[in-house]
Amino acid sequence: MAKKILISDDAMFMRVMLRNIIETNGYEVVDEASNGQEAVEKYQQHHPDLVLMDITMPVMDGISAVKAIKANDPNCKIIMCTAMGQKEMVLEAIKSGAKDFIVKPFQAPRVLESIQKLVGAA
Amino acid sequence: MRSQHVNAFVTGAFRVLESVFGATPTRGELQALPAVFTTDQCNVTIGVTGSIQGMVIFGMSLVTADRIASTMIGAPIKTFDQLAASAIAELCNMISGNALISLSEAGATCDITPPALIRGTNTKLSTLSIPAIIIPLETTTGTINLTVSLIEKKVVV
Repeated sequence: MAKKILISDDAMFMRVMLRNIIETNGYEVVDEASNGQEAVEKYQQHHPDLVLMDITMPVMDGISAVKAIKANDPNCKIIMCTAMGQKEMVLEAIKSGAKDFIVKPFQAPRVLESIQKLVGAA
Repeated sequence: MRSQHVNAFVTGAFRVLESVFGATPTRGELQALPAVFTTDQCNVTIGVTGSIQGMVIFGMSLVTADRIASTMIGAPIKTFDQLAASAIAELCNMISGNALISLSEAGATCDITPPALIRGTNTKLSTLSIPAIIIPLETTTGTINLTVSLIEKKVVV
């Protein structure tokens, strides 16, 4: 069975691009979230192997979502995928429990490398 | 508004546009805008909050917006739908995020709001009490007019 990935980004375009990268490489997109709160709810519902999480989102931002998910599942694997690449943001995301941090615009190989490092092959 | 604020967004735009379109844009002449100005046909507005406050606006023609969306999506678009709008908004979000990295390295602590997209002709806009500067950026898809309207927040201890 393919590894399951949850995508959380408020931009439809980004969700489509990430889905293409993920599915082209044999992984399964188990669901999509358009804000941090949805991401927390869908994580509880699906228990994905990995989450790709944006930071700037309405309702609940990505770092808050990481904290909420980690509180329920300390073993969660979350990669931040965001335009916000300030040093303080990176540090806060990692301190909150994210395993990797990718700054947009990204290249597909960078995303894949990060996914494979955390969950292995599809 | 300091030149550092404008430069952060121009540099961010260059970096992202080069990465997305594979070609270095060129920069036109910087101009101060009047209190009320007419926007382009398609505009993405992004708020900036924190130690630097205000907004940035990325304006372009509908033709340029179509070209940008088609390039980002990887196929010509038939109508300017939600996906195309999202692609344009995300481009501007990435430029702004990149700009914030430079501002952060210079000591600023700020954040950006999710983008909003406004389409229409002869729309008037005013940044009210914060002066605005416009910088045209020439790209392979057309001109993107970057409007920067930012102010440094003064804190009394």
